[in-house]
Amino acid sequence: MVVSSTPPGYELTEEQRLVRDTVRALADDRIAPRAAEIDRTGEFPWDVKALLAEHDLLGLGIPAEYGGVGADLLSVCLAVEQVSRVCATSGLIIAVQELASLPIVLAGTDEQRRRWLPDLAAGRQLVAFALTEPEAGSDAAAVRTRAVRDGDDYVIEGTKRFITHGSIADLVVVFAVTDPEADRHGRMSAFVVERDRPGFRVARLEHKMGIRGSPTAELVFDGVRIPAGNRLGAEGEGFAIAMRTFERSRPAIAAQAVGIAQGALEVATAYARTRRQFGRPIGDFQMVAALLADMDAATEAARQLLYRACTVIERGGPDAARWAAIAKLVAGDAAMRVTTDAVQVLGGYGYVDEYPVERMMRDAKITQLYEGTQQIQRLVVARALLGRE
Amino acid sequence: MSGRLVVVGELADGRPTRLTTEVATLGRRVAEDLGRPAVGILVGPDAAAAAETLAGFLPEVVAVDVPELVDLAPAPRVAAEVATLVVPEDGPILVGASPDGRDVAGALAVLLDRAVLANAVDVEVGPEGPTTVTPIFGGKSIVRSRFVGRPGIITVRPSSVDAAPAPAAGRIVGRAPAAASGGPTVRRLERVVEASGEIPLEEAPVVVVGGRGVGGPEGFALLQELAALLGGTVGATRAAVDAGWIPYARQIGQTGKVVRPRLYLGLGVSGAIQHKVGMQTAETIVAVNRDPDAPLSEYADLYVVGDLFEVGRALVAELRGRREGGGG
Amino acid sequence: MRIVVLTKPVPDPASGQDRLGPDWRVDRAAAPAVLNGNDEYALEAALRLVEAHGGEITLLAMAPPSAPETLRKGLAMGADRAVLVTDPALAGSDIPSTVAVLAAALRDLEADLVLAGIDTSDGFAGVVPAALATTLRLPLLSNAAAIEPDPAAGRVRVRRIVQGGYDVLEAPLPALVSCTQALGAPRYPSLKGIMAARSKEIAVRSLADLGPLPRPVGGAVAETVVVAVDPPPPRGATRTVRAPAAEAAREIAEFLAARRLLP
Repeated sequence: MVVSSTPPGYELTEEQRLVRDTVRALADDRIAPRAAEIDRTGEFPWDVKALLAEHDLLGLGIPAEYGGVGADLLSVCLAVEQVSRVCATSGLIIAVQELASLPIVLAGTDEQRRRWLPDLAAGRQLVAFALTEPEAGSDAAAVRTRAVRDGDDYVIEGTKRFITHGSIADLVVVFAVTDPEADRHGRMSAFVVERDRPGFRVARLEHKMGIRGSPTAELVFDGVRIPAGNRLGAEGEGFAIAMRTFERSRPAIAAQAVGIAQGALEVATAYARTRRQFGRPIGDFQMVAALLADMDAATEAARQLLYRACTVIERGGPDAARWAAIAKLVAGDAAMRVTTDAVQVLGGYGYVDEYPVERMMRDAKITQLYEGTQQIQRLVVARALLGRE
Repeated sequence: MSGRLVVVGELADGRPTRLTTEVATLGRRVAEDLGRPAVGILVGPDAAAAAETLAGFLPEVVAVDVPELVDLAPAPRVAAEVATLVVPEDGPILVGASPDGRDVAGALAVLLDRAVLANAVDVEVGPEGPTTVTPIFGGKSIVRSRFVGRPGIITVRPSSVDAAPAPAAGRIVGRAPAAASGGPTVRRLERVVEASGEIPLEEAPVVVVGGRGVGGPEGFALLQELAALLGGTVGATRAAVDAGWIPYARQIGQTGKVVRPRLYLGLGVSGAIQHKVGMQTAETIVAVNRDPDAPLSEYADLYVVGDLFEVGRALVAELRGRREGGGG
Repeated sequence: MRIVVLTKPVPDPASGQDRLGPDWRVDRAAAPAVLNGNDEYALEAALRLVEAHGGEITLLAMAPPSAPETLRKGLAMGADRAVLVTDPALAGSDIPSTVAVLAAALRDLEADLVLAGIDTSDGFAGVVPAALATTLRLPLLSNAAAIEPDPAAGRVRVRRIVQGGYDVLEAPLPALVSCTQALGAPRYPSLKGIMAARSKEIAVRSLADLGPLPRPVGGAVAETVVVAVDPPPPRGATRTVRAPAAEAAREIAEFLAARRLLP
């Protein structure tokens, strides 16, 4: 008799639980002790990146035939959640590698996948996703960066802003306009730009409120010449590639949000259990207990919604964008609220860096902003609801 | 004739170990309560000489000199010799829960086909015979257990009993080795002494313990200094040992040593359950930790919230000052 | 080299929820099960041996039917397959029963080297390795800090931790080694290892599958019984000090002096 893995269903499979528990142990033992320093120095944690690579966490979503783990979306999210629970910057390393390699996985030819994915899966190279521009944030179709065909090459001209890992990535997936006359869904194409191409430069780094160890860069493409073989998919498919990427990357950000919320909940609960005022633990006071209960409820609701969204998206289908948007919307708001309340539970101690909740509160805010603001998520959901494009 | 309570002793450097004298002290009391005679058995290269010491604790000691045990791993042969001396009416059989003692107990369980109650800190005697007292799950519960039917083997945790000699010395009976062999041979090629001169962790009256917070091997220098000032030795948590900052022999806890010093001073130790197992019976527990909510904060006698290096260095200065002040 | 690692699922000591149930047996529903800590060190040692000498690793456990989940972690770390002996009759087994069952299962596996943790975090007895070696007439090399097999010569050397140092022991193969943490910290499973574990075999065997045993086994013939479970006696209240270092140090010194703990 042979026992097989638990069949997938409403519960996590045995394998998914093992992914979760393994990454949690790794995060607690090796990443948690670094989190405060990463935030304080604002330096990218190369040691954590190496650790994640060593345990295959940078190739989670990349198919096994290209050197990745070939894990399902839910497993990717479990890993991001567990790492973000102790350090949002470190969780983002997994999420961004996953997000930015997706266009290659989704739209690359076999040759392109073989060229780039093994180094990304092994963590030998990092990749960034460059869509946003100074004047094209929520309105992704307003991209101005141009890619002009010149013989066997394209020449890219333009500026990208708020690009996570933009300054440290070896590859940048760039979305640029190839046909300015086409409608908003057909104007863009996606390209892979290697960082050593002449004309590529990092113009500046942002000073951010949270996720401070994660470099956010402005990238300038000053006549960057790349071979046509670096284009992903057909000309004009860029918008579609970006949107399909978001279906899988928004859950990863939702996972980051759930992880941050869980981390704050755990700190606040431990504090309420041991901090004594008026002769008893503050958790004995109903006003504190109610705060904690609401924090737990919000976190768990967001988590279960995310897990459900992952299985729906994994299955594919027309509803994927809606589920991705709902998961990110609920999780981002939960993270903001839960971390804010965690600071409240800790009182003055929560406001100073002796405890991690103030960092978690600053980190939580970004989950309401990137991969589409909460307003954009609502737009996606409303459009799906009202049946309009 | 009713059977005897048997204490199986352990030899180190030609003497009964401290644990052996603890087990003998416990065995003597339990035998009285059971109304059985107590007998100690020592098997080893210098058993007859060592029996002099053990006879200070028990009314009778059987010494089996096995000179060739110098070159062998002792447990299988010790168990085999003990098995030839134990008759069916005998019991319970008390063995110290040291690494060697556990090996002897395991082998005896099979050779004598007897049940085992492990890791007792005490043995009580009631109408149903001996009952062991054993803390489990890191001391969260105290379990009392007994044998069904004839009494079996009881292993006794180190540092559970204060060794106390008997009012009168017992007699010594020499026996020739009787066991054919101890089963498959395990040869001892070499003994390497690494830490001569240091106080063994289990015997130190004061243990200064470092955890993850110590941050590296150099951090333990401060602990050494404090241990010297307090007349003790240095221990560590599993985190510090796993990080390679200090040898495994210094580890206290679930997978390390169990200590019961007069003073436990923990620096940067959280006191998680796996560590607590090894030190919770210390008479006095003092801890310094930045984390005000670490588990130790709930069971230390004195808990100082602060940086272990700042407080540790200040304590070195304070203790030096007192020592000098006390001299003048 | 064929290595068998004895593994035991135990209630996670880190959960803080490990406890006995109303039947005074381990309450397996209260705390998540994990591989016994020392067994993970034994498995890590086995993995390093196989990396150096080649061979394969089988995990062997006697445990409730829910054990595959914890065994899967061992497979994800790199073991090749697992054998789980599980039978309702085995619940509540005492040490002689456990040893008889494991010995029967081990005979079928024809191992060159059997590795076990020095003890388990739930039972803590640490007598099973010696009892198994005695039953199977295998040489026992206990309390190991290093394992150096020489498969060609058919022997193994072990550094055995003793007070103040170590002994170098040597025995012929096959042999049984009980493993300490000094062998080196267990690896985390890699994510690829977790995915690979999916297709590895966990063979489940009942008591009947083991064939006739030399003695009756199981909870029904256990020769030890729990008669009481009590909370520990309380320690005195903790005094907490929050003060600048010099002041805190003075408080500690005075506290120690008051208890006559200063030399």
